[in-house]
Amino acid sequence: MIERELLVSNRLGLHARATAKLVQLLSGFRSNATLVARGREVNAKSIMGVMLLAAGQGTPVLLRVEGEDEAAAADAAAALFERRFDEEN
Amino acid sequence: MRLQLSGHGASRGSALGRARVRLPHVLEVVEERITDVEAEIARLHAAILVVRDEMHVTRRRLHGALAQEVGEFLDLHALLLDDPELLRGLDALIRTGRYSADYALRLQRDRIANVFTGMDDAYLRSRIDDIDQVIGRIHAALHRRDADVQGIAGEILVTDNIAPSEVAQLQAQGVMAVVTAGGSALSHSAILARSLHLPLVVGTTLALQKINDGDVLVVDGGTGLVVREPEASDLREHRARMRDLKRERRQLNRLRREPSRTRDGIDIRLYANAESREDVAEAHALGAAGVGLYRTEFLFLNTDAVPDEEAQFRAYRDLVLGMTGRTVTIRTLDLGADKADRTGLVLGNEPNPALGLRGVRLSLSRPALFETQLRAIVRASAYGPVRILVPMVSGREEVLAVGALLARVVTELRAQGHAVAEHIPLGAMIEVPSAALSLPDFIGALDFISIGTNDLVQYVLAADRNNDALGPLYSPLHPAVLRLLRAVITVAGRRNIPVAVCGEIAGDPACVPLLLALGLQEFSLHPATLLEVRRAIRDCDLGMLRARAPQLLRARDRGAIERWLHRVRLPSTQ
Repeated sequence: MIERELLVSNRLGLHARATAKLVQLLSGFRSNATLVARGREVNAKSIMGVMLLAAGQGTPVLLRVEGEDEAAAADAAAALFERRFDEEN
Repeated sequence: MRLQLSGHGASRGSALGRARVRLPHVLEVVEERITDVEAEIARLHAAILVVRDEMHVTRRRLHGALAQEVGEFLDLHALLLDDPELLRGLDALIRTGRYSADYALRLQRDRIANVFTGMDDAYLRSRIDDIDQVIGRIHAALHRRDADVQGIAGEILVTDNIAPSEVAQLQAQGVMAVVTAGGSALSHSAILARSLHLPLVVGTTLALQKINDGDVLVVDGGTGLVVREPEASDLREHRARMRDLKRERRQLNRLRREPSRTRDGIDIRLYANAESREDVAEAHALGAAGVGLYRTEFLFLNTDAVPDEEAQFRAYRDLVLGMTGRTVTIRTLDLGADKADRTGLVLGNEPNPALGLRGVRLSLSRPALFETQLRAIVRASAYGPVRILVPMVSGREEVLAVGALLARVVTELRAQGHAVAEHIPLGAMIEVPSAALSLPDFIGALDFISIGTNDLVQYVLAADRNNDALGPLYSPLHPAVLRLLRAVITVAGRRNIPVAVCGEIAGDPACVPLLLALGLQEFSLHPATLLEVRRAIRDCDLGMLRARAPQLLRARDRGAIERWLHRVRLPSTQ
């Protein structure tokens, strides 16, 4: 299992567009992924789940990935967070 | 009594008809238990499958800029439809509660709504609308209803809001116009309605309170006026608007049989981009010179397995037969990591799909796959004129490799006794800057070229066309783009190699004078705007435009290009 502490740094936070990108990305991996924020834990491959976190800009989140391709999945997700979901420069 | 309501005109057109009111979609479902759990789960999943297919079809109908705008929205709905939590919750409700699929949908919806409506963020709170739309569609599919508006032909739909995915469906069902209480003229639905010529008035706040089923309405999608129980003067105005619109459409339709000829008598060839059988039929009816771009990805995107040679052959052959002797240009597979596919051909998670293994790069890395496609296309060439167009070429090596493979495939098919055309022209998409700049090095190996401006502009300007944050940065109206187009057209012209443009710009009537000035004589565009582009061509004087080309190529910024376009515009005669 891999855990990564990430920061939601894009302006809109985990809105529909950013969430869709995250869910689409993680769905390409076999590993299970969960996201923990604001005291809630949700399935990171569920768009409803992730939106329900209502993680706005500046929210720290914990990504937990478990499975055969966990390292690649965690890296890819972390990179998406770092790129601010490709929303801004 | 006459009552006038005002909303915002979102899609032009005038309509007179009876109102069909659809109240906001609340799932009014009563508790219901079932005995056969597995059958009920199967029923639910069959309905979900129907909705997924509908969304897929809607998505395929979209093209160009529309596909980018509405696609994102549809993607969100598709993700919701496939949401593991939503599905698992539904299955669990049916299994443990022995509830009907209908009631499980309602319970699940209410559960989600409880959480969403408690959120602080207004934007996220309103995502419950998306969830409602998806759940409403599953519910409609359970009962094989088309979202509750069957038999609406000839009527005017009055509702709270309309989803982009519904617009195309309603238009196909023959609805005259749509009036919504909410919504905005900038919404995805409005964009879609405009492209489908479906009159739409949005933001008519009192519509649901004041309009009842069966009320006679006059709707003006231009000004946003909705009149209930219209009087003689309202009807007169409606008739006048209809006359104007009809005249405009008649003028366009007259052009179906007219040549795409400039005022000074030069014929321009208009080819159609086609994706579906309907596109091909329309292209034929509009008098297109042929199909300039047939995207074969769609054969691959809609199935789980890679289509075999026979399946591909039949699709290409039917396309060729559908164009009855006019040229058909088949583009080889243009898949990349940016297009979702279920066949497993594409590497997921490329860090930079626009610069990754796509187009001809993917094809050359999968020789068996590529050879199968070439064999299918070559076999179809026995049924009518076929050209092969190769996407994402970046230089000479790829062109030579494809040429050698094609020659081998033709020889083998002949040896195996297949009928094959005498000569199958080979062309390359010019959409990578390196290909545009090194064109003289390999144009000798080609029979034609097609400039893919959408990608070329993106690569030349280093601006992602799907990134809204870049605003006007992504635009073909950049001096660098125009000079590059001019260079490519000149190189091709010197060798007498036909050159077409097949990006969005080719379908934009406003850009016609610009492309003609640059020396372009062939366009490939979606059938939806073919007649408008033909009209624009017929309003141009090619000699005058060519004479002013040097000014255009000296333009130093977008403003100067726009001023040039404004200066060369001639008063329309049609």
